[in-house]
Amino acid sequence: MRFLLNRLIHAIFLLFGVSLLSFLLLSLAPGDYLSEMQLNPQISPETVAALRHQYNLDRPIPVRYSHWVAAAVKGDLGFSFAYNVPVTKLLSSRILNTLLLTIPATILAWIIAIAVGVISAAKQGRWEDQVASAGTTTLLITPDILIALVFLWVALRSGYFPVGGMVSVGFDELTATQKLRDITLHAAIPITILVLSIIPVLIRHVRATMIEALHSPFVRAARAHGIPRSRLLLRHVFPAAANPLVSLFGLSIANLLGVGLITEVVMSWPGMGPLLLESVQARDLYVVIGAILISAFVLQTGIFVSDLLLLACDPRIRKGAR
Amino acid sequence: MFRITWVRHVFILAVLAAAQSLWAADAAQPVRPGEDVAVSTAESGKFGGRLSIALRSEPKTFNPVTLVDGSSREITGRLHADLLHINRASQQTEPALAKSWKVSKDGLTYTVALRHGIRFSDGVPFDADDVVFSFQVYLDEKVHSPQRDLLVVNDKPIVVKKLDQYTVAFQLAQPYAAAERLFDNIAILPKHLLAKAYEQGKIGESWNISAHPAEMAGLGPFRLKEYLPGQRVTLERNPYYWKTNKEKKRLPYLDEMTFLFVPSEDAQIIRFQSGDTDVISRISADNFALLERDQQSRGLHMVDLGPGLEFNFLFFNLNSVVPKSANTLAAKQQVFRQVAFRQAVSAAIDRDAIIKLVYRGRGTALVTQVTPANKLWRNDKIVLQKRSVDRAKDILRRANFTWKPDGTLLSPSGSPVEFTILSSASNAQRTQMATIIQQDLKDIGITVQVVPMEFRALLDRVFQSHDYEAAVLALGGGDVDPNPQMNVWVEDGSNHMWDLGETKPATPWEAEIDSLMKKQLSTLKVADRKKLYDRVQQLVADNLPLICLASPNILVGAKNKVGNFNPSILDPYVLWNSEELFIR
Repeated sequence: MRFLLNRLIHAIFLLFGVSLLSFLLLSLAPGDYLSEMQLNPQISPETVAALRHQYNLDRPIPVRYSHWVAAAVKGDLGFSFAYNVPVTKLLSSRILNTLLLTIPATILAWIIAIAVGVISAAKQGRWEDQVASAGTTTLLITPDILIALVFLWVALRSGYFPVGGMVSVGFDELTATQKLRDITLHAAIPITILVLSIIPVLIRHVRATMIEALHSPFVRAARAHGIPRSRLLLRHVFPAAANPLVSLFGLSIANLLGVGLITEVVMSWPGMGPLLLESVQARDLYVVIGAILISAFVLQTGIFVSDLLLLACDPRIRKGAR
Repeated sequence: MFRITWVRHVFILAVLAAAQSLWAADAAQPVRPGEDVAVSTAESGKFGGRLSIALRSEPKTFNPVTLVDGSSREITGRLHADLLHINRASQQTEPALAKSWKVSKDGLTYTVALRHGIRFSDGVPFDADDVVFSFQVYLDEKVHSPQRDLLVVNDKPIVVKKLDQYTVAFQLAQPYAAAERLFDNIAILPKHLLAKAYEQGKIGESWNISAHPAEMAGLGPFRLKEYLPGQRVTLERNPYYWKTNKEKKRLPYLDEMTFLFVPSEDAQIIRFQSGDTDVISRISADNFALLERDQQSRGLHMVDLGPGLEFNFLFFNLNSVVPKSANTLAAKQQVFRQVAFRQAVSAAIDRDAIIKLVYRGRGTALVTQVTPANKLWRNDKIVLQKRSVDRAKDILRRANFTWKPDGTLLSPSGSPVEFTILSSASNAQRTQMATIIQQDLKDIGITVQVVPMEFRALLDRVFQSHDYEAAVLALGGGDVDPNPQMNVWVEDGSNHMWDLGETKPATPWEAEIDSLMKKQLSTLKVADRKKLYDRVQQLVADNLPLICLASPNILVGAKNKVGNFNPSILDPYVLWNSEELFIR
């Protein structure tokens, strides 16, 4: 219990720190949301000044931050300057779309990584291992944006997959089955890009931890007792190797969020990525902070879930936590 | 019993409402006797179908009173109409919701006769009360509408009076040339839907992106059907639109228009190639060449409209108040302030290279702020001279500049001439221009550093801190008339960016520009205004407060199946006649 409480307090401090840093960095940078309006010869400086006052951009940073924190504690992340709507409202629909990509991508990536990693470790040094190693090396050295562009090119040339967006233009006229197929087809390429961008690291970790476990004395003893190889791998070696992999789970979410933003922009997926990019460029302060906070929260949740899993599968941690 | 009856009533009402909305969406209302409709002269097309277009960003609002961004303007422009409108093809003003207008002899009163019997997209009739209400909203200081500044002449807001149900008078504080152009893009609002929000001081919050389509109505060819955050906006035909085709059938031709949100230009090209979108605009020369190559095989019609109204320019910091931290700036300004120095810089810049390298040949070199696209106002007597290093050196020599043996240019006070050009990091083309200028000025011994900078940070330096030496920026794109650029040329203008915050002109030529611009503003005869503005252009070309560089061509395209595709160099380039567009 104390372990979980510590983690929770740690998460709260982290979120506070993230919000403070983002607020300071964005507010101290020269220019603000209204700067671009100054370039329009048809808008007077008085109008810009009045809008700056309306958005409280003329108030000192500590005052603005303290007001924002007081509201954020109650779940109000502020107002978007550009959209003139609450940030929570703006982000809520996008988060769902982002999760629609990241959750299947996470599940798929882990299934593939575990399968390939286990086979690679079991066949260490043989052609299966070498192919896996060459594949992961290639993916590791290829920038995520390049992977995205290659898939986009393939989709455009082949015509089998849509080249962007989440649904087709005539989506409303489709039947329920056709709608499901349409979304699946649109999500196929972004999910593939996400999976390909995170599996090399996962495969290598699975392989390394499996090899380490395979060389443990208890495995040699089990082999000597004549336990079949497949049972040995899945029932004994894999659980022993699971510990570092569970810790990696939380961090893989962070990686996925980072790549997800790029993929969403390239594939025009209506998630947090395009909105965050636009808001950073427009200096829409509270939207940027809201999006960063939510990303930090998702990351923290991932780490928290992996802590819970660790607690469940490792008796040593359970003992230490008491 | 009560409950069953209540449920039944609700059910019947819901069915009726759904049937009404379906019918209204599908069928344009027949033209009623006495309805003053406008008749389109464009080719008669086929009714039905949907047109898709990609926008670089989402609309921020559907409220025409508060919008400032291009995407919102592109969409709301299809939802609303103005009293008088600038025809994007002819560049002349034409009646829209106004059937006609009269100007008093003193040029102070515009009397506008409105169309009779026309209706908003929710079926409610339109009349003078809506016009008076709309201008009351735009002119209200508490609303902070960016449009307000357009409607304030000589620091006095235009006074709007209802004369009768279909006549409105606009009273100006002083004669204002081409005042009818002010009405373009001032959307007329439905008083019946917005009066309450206005009285409660909530007009700015109305019609934001979370508003329900049923809460909105306009006089444009389309009305809002659906907004899906991050994905698209769908508009459907306005069944009460006030324009018909030659066969007296109510426009628009299209059933629907869909705006997809595609955040990058490259992604927009791919969506256009794949057939997801039907028209495209605001594309670079590289991408235009790519699409032009495929236009036969993909059934596309790509059009290079030639130069637009945008002009890119280099300018030096001539502000009298500069930050103390900028130690060397004051000394450098001694050089920047010399007209001869700016003339030499201009002579040394290879504008043809800019056109070739930055715009791949799809642009025009500029000598003044008025591009060749602006046939009405351009002073054709000013000719751009070819780049000449010798001429540049000669000008500098005559102004007592010298050179070190290694070729470094020395100012009359003996210090090496070097400066930094700021450019927007997000605009690769302007950074390329700055780099070409850097290379060109090396030939006359000037060392230039190019610093690409985040755009808002750059604007902050130019407009707020004045902590810069030189910068490359662009202006223009709105209208051909000189009036929208008053703030650039008058001494106390907010966009007089080379020397901001001054009330008295610093030089005789600036004083002359100031006086000419103010004079042309109140001169009603076009020929007289042209003479005054010709002189302004000559003064700009001679004294170079802005060293004009180049104007990119407007590059657009559409699928061959899009009928009445008639793009214009004025914004919005391809959708300005959306009511006339049809799918073959």
